[in-house]
Amino acid sequence: MNFGLRPLGGEKLWVLLLLGPTLLGLVLGAFGSIFATLGLSFFRWDLLTTPEWVGFDNYLGLAGDRMFLRSLSNTLIFSLLYVPLTIVCAMAVALLLNRRIHGVGLFRTLYFLPVISSPTAVGLLWTWIFAQDHGVLNAMLGGIGIPPVRWLGPNMALYSVVVVNVWGAIGEGMIIFLAGLQAIPREQYEAAHIDGANAIQRLFYVTLPAMAPSLFFQAVLSTIHAFQAFDYIYILTRVGNGNSSVPTLVFSIYRNGFRFFRMGDATAQAIVLTAIIFLFTLVYFRIQRRWEVPA
Amino acid sequence: MRGKTRISLAALAAVTLLGAAAAQAETEITYQLWGSPQEGEVWQKVAQEFEAQHPDIKVKVEVNDWDSYWEKIRVLMAGGTPPDVFAMDAPLYPDWQSRGVLLNLQPYIDAEPGLLDDIYPITLEAYKTKDGYFGLPRDFQTIVLYYNKDMFDAAGVAYPNDSWTYDDFRKAAKALTKDTNGDGSIDQWGFWAEVVDPEPYWGAVVWSFGGDIVDIPHGKTLIGSDKAMQAWHFIADMWLEDKSMPTQEQLQQYGTDGFQAGIAAMGVSGHWSVPDYAPAKFKWAVAPVPKGPAGRVTGVNSAGFVIAKASKHPKEAWAFVKFAFGPTGQAELAKIGLAVPIRKSVAESPAYLEQTSAPIDHKLFIDALQYAHPKPVFRGYEEWSAAVGDALNSAWTGALGVDDAIAEAVQNGDEALAKNRQ
Repeated sequence: MNFGLRPLGGEKLWVLLLLGPTLLGLVLGAFGSIFATLGLSFFRWDLLTTPEWVGFDNYLGLAGDRMFLRSLSNTLIFSLLYVPLTIVCAMAVALLLNRRIHGVGLFRTLYFLPVISSPTAVGLLWTWIFAQDHGVLNAMLGGIGIPPVRWLGPNMALYSVVVVNVWGAIGEGMIIFLAGLQAIPREQYEAAHIDGANAIQRLFYVTLPAMAPSLFFQAVLSTIHAFQAFDYIYILTRVGNGNSSVPTLVFSIYRNGFRFFRMGDATAQAIVLTAIIFLFTLVYFRIQRRWEVPA
Repeated sequence: MRGKTRISLAALAAVTLLGAAAAQAETEITYQLWGSPQEGEVWQKVAQEFEAQHPDIKVKVEVNDWDSYWEKIRVLMAGGTPPDVFAMDAPLYPDWQSRGVLLNLQPYIDAEPGLLDDIYPITLEAYKTKDGYFGLPRDFQTIVLYYNKDMFDAAGVAYPNDSWTYDDFRKAAKALTKDTNGDGSIDQWGFWAEVVDPEPYWGAVVWSFGGDIVDIPHGKTLIGSDKAMQAWHFIADMWLEDKSMPTQEQLQQYGTDGFQAGIAAMGVSGHWSVPDYAPAKFKWAVAPVPKGPAGRVTGVNSAGFVIAKASKHPKEAWAFVKFAFGPTGQAELAKIGLAVPIRKSVAESPAYLEQTSAPIDHKLFIDALQYAHPKPVFRGYEEWSAAVGDALNSAWTGALGVDDAIAEAVQNGDEALAKNRQ
């Protein structure tokens, strides 16, 4: 059953030779940097002089680093809002677009468009939507007599950037959920229908249980994205001199490593970030296992 | 197919070999700087003139935007292949110099008696260390007041002049803040400034109110002193009470530079803004910054050249620095109109004073040296500036009161200073 093209004889050498750079790049680039990051987190290193072993000092220092703690709390609040909202919105869109309606292809493309658009351009567009005096949102509110809201002001900025990020992530979640939805056998719906289940019951007792694997996959993916969120947030909240009014973890890592001569602190923060994502992923796997046993 | 591949591979190898052979005939040095592509072109021209005088040396000029530039230099440095010559911002110089990656230029300077004679002394200060100079200034920037003549005329407000105090300035700014199209929201502000880093605005205000910024030997951030607090309250009153400055959110709707966007009647900046403002549709001019209770004080900062200690061609690199630092190089640079030459004979000549692209009072930027304080220069500058800036910003967005924000800025700043002590 193998119809793929297979290299013959002397061509094997060429295949290896041509794949070599990519493979080598992957091994050195991905694994190399993962191990280097872990290793460097135990050193004080400014990129310019010889790294100096400091044991766990970089990690201990994080507990008292207020700039880091602020970015950590921003990222945590952001993630707690972003992950559930992304899953719910993407699922809703996927359910709506999993029917035989006119122009379904167009709608799917429209919802996927943000995923492949330049974050800088999209960020600037949202800046205009959120703008205080000439913004689209405030113009709409003004139309129904509501005074302008400072969408990017200190009280709202974090929520506003959650909205933009969720909007940007719906397309990706939709693709995963659509694939999951289309894999559910029609017989299950027909059987449920014959048993007298209404649309809501079919959603909760047929669709969602069958979607468990996609849901967990998307939850893990969204969590990773949430903790790595950077571009939209930076563009919407940047202030002069390379600062941001909503600094995130990734922003803090960048700033420490590439602007403050603190590669050791930056890598320690990166390891903390990885550990948090890993922890969430473990929790998801635990829940998934529990959910799957009775089913 | 396979035959063709072989031929093209062979051709590729031949071309590579030829290229390598050609490059060996002369020494190539690299010069990297931050800036716009136009600046890169001017430097390309300076490099060509240098090459004409030194046929055995080739200079490769590479220009990047500010953020990418510093990332690149760090990574190249860490990888052991730094550029031979690269541009330095004076406040960041101690971070690089103290880490031993810059070449000590003192022996080269000693071999050229009189080399520093024609240089404005204040621009040299930042690069001096107890072991000599590890860098030399390339150009300098003093901060002046820019004003939009059309807006002043329309509002019937007299132009800023020599005798202006910060009170006069505040009054004028208030009179210039308007809702010009009558839609109920302000669309013209009297003044615009970025109040994050001490340059261009808040450092000068703190100094002119008699305060100071940092005490490096004792690792103290001084911006919370009584006199400095008067300066902060002045800024806050103008911004948060008079509302004669746009908030970050208001500014964002028009761009990043409120003066250039034509929404602010006044701004403070260095000479670097001149090429940006020159094509503006409105008429504008420059004036000295206003006087405070402690007199008139502005800030001066310089960009400089450094040579990497790891450079394989230090002699050639020095030859290039000496040329660009010298009268020919400086005269060429004066023409970009981006900065003020550090050489008196060039700055006080028509090459700088009579720039056809922007017929403004260029001499004002030189005169400002008489009442200018150098921008603080110390190890950990960028971290300190970000730590202080984060806290300041919370005052301007309204997240914190001014007193609380400054208290936090001092605490943040002192932590950053402590972390960077050697």
